[in-house]
Amino acid sequence: MTTVSTEVHPPGESGSFSSGLSVADFAACLDMGLEPVGLAQGYCVMQSQQGLSPMQVGFGMSPYQPAPNDYVENYHCPHGIVSTEHRMWGQNYQQAWIERTWRQGFSSAYKRMLDEATRMGAHGVIGVVDNVTPLAQEGIVEFRILGTAVRVSGHSSNAAPWTTYLAGQRLAKSFEAGFAPLNIVTAISSVRVWASCITQYVMEGTGAMLYGQSNDSIEIEQIVSARAAARELLRQSVKAQLHGDQLHSVELVLREHEFGHGDLEIQPVLRGNRVRRYKDFDAFTTPRPTVRLT
Amino acid sequence: MASLESASASATTTTSDLSIDEELNLHSVGWQPVDLVSGVSVFSVSMGIWNWGQGEITGATKAHENAFSHAIERLQRDAVRAGGHGVVGVHIERSVHRSHVEVSLVGTAVRPIDAVPIGPDKIFTSDLSGRDFSLLIAAGWQPLGLAHGSSFVYAPRRQISTVLAQQSQNIELTNYTNAMYVARETAMERLQTTALALAGTGVVQVQVVEGPMSFASHAISFATWGTVVRLRGDAHRRMDPQMVLPMNDLHVAFEAATLQ
Repeated sequence: MTTVSTEVHPPGESGSFSSGLSVADFAACLDMGLEPVGLAQGYCVMQSQQGLSPMQVGFGMSPYQPAPNDYVENYHCPHGIVSTEHRMWGQNYQQAWIERTWRQGFSSAYKRMLDEATRMGAHGVIGVVDNVTPLAQEGIVEFRILGTAVRVSGHSSNAAPWTTYLAGQRLAKSFEAGFAPLNIVTAISSVRVWASCITQYVMEGTGAMLYGQSNDSIEIEQIVSARAAARELLRQSVKAQLHGDQLHSVELVLREHEFGHGDLEIQPVLRGNRVRRYKDFDAFTTPRPTVRLT
Repeated sequence: MASLESASASATTTTSDLSIDEELNLHSVGWQPVDLVSGVSVFSVSMGIWNWGQGEITGATKAHENAFSHAIERLQRDAVRAGGHGVVGVHIERSVHRSHVEVSLVGTAVRPIDAVPIGPDKIFTSDLSGRDFSLLIAAGWQPLGLAHGSSFVYAPRRQISTVLAQQSQNIELTNYTNAMYVARETAMERLQTTALALAGTGVVQVQVVEGPMSFASHAISFATWGTVVRLRGDAHRRMDPQMVLPMNDLHVAFEAATLQ
């Protein structure tokens, strides 16, 4: 792999600091004894390996063969040979190469942000924001991660900085509640659905007419299974990164692209803050309800 | 899928989409988050049922009702697997297409602190936030599950003579209004039926989504859902909220954002 030059003048060296915090978050940051030292940033542009479509691996002949531990489910046509256009099989399969691209791009950008924060002498990076956006042409994506590097006033740091999406009062509450931030956690799963003949026809609404099914609606098993699998793969990916710690303030974004009737790409993305309890919850009385008179 | 599910069943870490505030609120009433859980279902709708007709479009209604029920069942199974006693903060995403209906539910499984797992028949689901759930518990109530009801109804077409006679008038289109009321009545009745089946005394935070669909201009859809609740003890515990009068200025004289 070609080495990328990420050497820039670390923010903070010039004497003034930069920060992505709002005024309120900045004030809360100072109240916690954290002082911002600079806006740490990491970038990575990745080209995704072109995936194999069922068409390419042999439409009408044999389903795609994924790696041994990857998720795959096959659906066979119960009708026999109907026509050359009739699908003899359908398949749900994990697009592991997309997940690998995403992991590599994100972790490279993340590491570059962390390196920058380390060079600034930061203890942590707060208010992290990340984006994954298409760049230049199809199959090329840019990963961007930035956050405000902070250090504990009057102390120097030798360890790798911790990171969190939280900032301001929400971060303060997390500390108060006994949770120390460790790092941000993100994960993606990608499942491709190549519809079987039945899935294709029920998704376009012609199933009953063509195959004599009753007019009753039926559950579309292949789609349901793919969606459940995408979520389960995501959950496993996240759990593997937690090492027994907790994940707070999780955000789950469901992305789905439909190429044709029942031909889907399902890609949920999950973000959260990995935290570790450093003290027990203080006794917390039942909150007193209030009514604002404005 | 079965192998995927068994692989993660032994995991002991906690994931939650609750905010810190919500988690603190949960702890204040003796509950804790366990895991992020989800349930999805997609039901087919037969071709042609959106066309001309009268009365309820039973195929579409059945698909919607079944998709909701199956998604809730899967959410409960997921919660059982995670060791939860219920699910709070359920985000409900539903969409109705010409050929199918989709329902997707995502929420956080919760349980009383240090409680042991229970069976799927006792798991509750709720779209109340962590804060509202805590308030409900503190007030002596308990959530029992998600109630839902839906109805799709044809708005009968007017005769050509009626259209011509009415085209230059300001006039209510009673065919649409009537269809709306029929759909509303039927859906709300189904909501009540599912609430009663859960032995609830009421439904809170009821959401209503209604109107025509882009692919079926002569059909009205009405869907509603909410959290079924019941008193845990004999009587409601009064919360006696404290009145607060904020002393902040009503008008902001200086907006920090203008410096950006």
